[in-house]
Amino acid sequence: MTVDTQLVEHMMNPKNYGTLEASDTQGIGKNPENGEKVVVYMRIGEEEESPYVADIRFQAIGCATTVVAGSMLTEEAKGLNFKGIAHLIEATMQLLERVPEEDAACSEMVALAIQAAIDTYMKRKEEPDYPVITYKVARSCVPKEQGES
Amino acid sequence: MMKTLMIKTHEVWLEMLMAGFMSHTESKQALIDFSDILFRHFTWLEEEVIKAKEPYSYDRDMIAIRVDTLGVLLQDIIHRLDAIELQLLSLKNRALAQRMESDFHYMKEQLRHMEDERVFAFNMKREYPKIVLNDEARDALTLFLFEETYKEYELILIYNYLKAHSSDGYMNRIYQVLIDESFFHLKQFGQMSAKMGILAVPRIVMRELYEIEDMVTFLKEGIDEELAAKEECIKLAEAVGTQSPELKRFFDFINAQENYHIALMHDALKHYEEKHSESK
Repeated sequence: MTVDTQLVEHMMNPKNYGTLEASDTQGIGKNPENGEKVVVYMRIGEEEESPYVADIRFQAIGCATTVVAGSMLTEEAKGLNFKGIAHLIEATMQLLERVPEEDAACSEMVALAIQAAIDTYMKRKEEPDYPVITYKVARSCVPKEQGES
Repeated sequence: MMKTLMIKTHEVWLEMLMAGFMSHTESKQALIDFSDILFRHFTWLEEEVIKAKEPYSYDRDMIAIRVDTLGVLLQDIIHRLDAIELQLLSLKNRALAQRMESDFHYMKEQLRHMEDERVFAFNMKREYPKIVLNDEARDALTLFLFEETYKEYELILIYNYLKAHSSDGYMNRIYQVLIDESFFHLKQFGQMSAKMGILAVPRIVMRELYEIEDMVTFLKEGIDEELAAKEECIKLAEAVGTQSPELKRFFDFINAQENYHIALMHDALKHYEEKHSESK
């Protein structure tokens, strides 16, 4: 990972880190390979019948890259309606195609946690007790020289 | 109420520790020593919470520490101590309340008389005093300090939680040694971060990391993590070694310390497995 001032700023002061006491929904992104995970908490607002992310927090069991990705993506997600969130996730996934796999897995985990939170919210509209959705990453976080071929 | 007291004490412990890392005068040692005292208060309050059978966690608020001068932070710490002191009035364990109040009075008096100083711990220059690092070494050191400062804080909380909930003297001795070792590492890495201008409060530790369900898996994975940490130290020693024999020696020393942690965790695993096979 190339370390620049913006990255250091996110590491020193991750945005939206922690939990939301009265969250409307949660979602989990998980890496089954190494047990790393990201939990996203959201408060959803309704504007002209279009729900949007009124507030968002995240917590992570993972490396500094995951925390940086969580800080950046949750900051982007704040205030977006669900269509905007779908665009953000799609754009993130496309961007990750050009990133080394072990770094991409961390950002993918955050994007999936955001997606899971939105999907949990939608499911709970019909079934209020629906459990928190967990999505698993497709990419490997293990650096190539350590991974199995 | 006790839970809030515990959370607020957790926050002021960390703030005092960070103040110690920021200081570059003779106040440094006093601030770090005070933070050690506040950590002990935190553990005593935790004991009270456990005795009262109240559910609790190590969740806390984010702590804003970015200041230009240390005096601003010291003033904030005094306010926090004042607020805790007010809450101590309703603590049932009067002996503990009086012990904490007495410590607070002395600390506040000392903090008020500390000389103000400029803070360079957040300038993000990522330059190590008297050592010239190339880009690769600087990036490697930056990432290492962020990862490991958090990791040591996480380990302190995990072992502290395990110790608070265990009555096994053998295991508790091991937990305490590992807490002490992690404190040493946290203090070293925190001060290095401050020198590099990248000091940060470690992030909040997720509950499932310290509420351990399977002790054997936890210890086995912990041993693997220590082995991985050794590798990181070796890589870092290599990355910085060509530019600084002093930093190389330091990371070799940290690497060697991990051997001791691994040995302790093997002891803990053996003891735990023996004890639990006997009770089956």
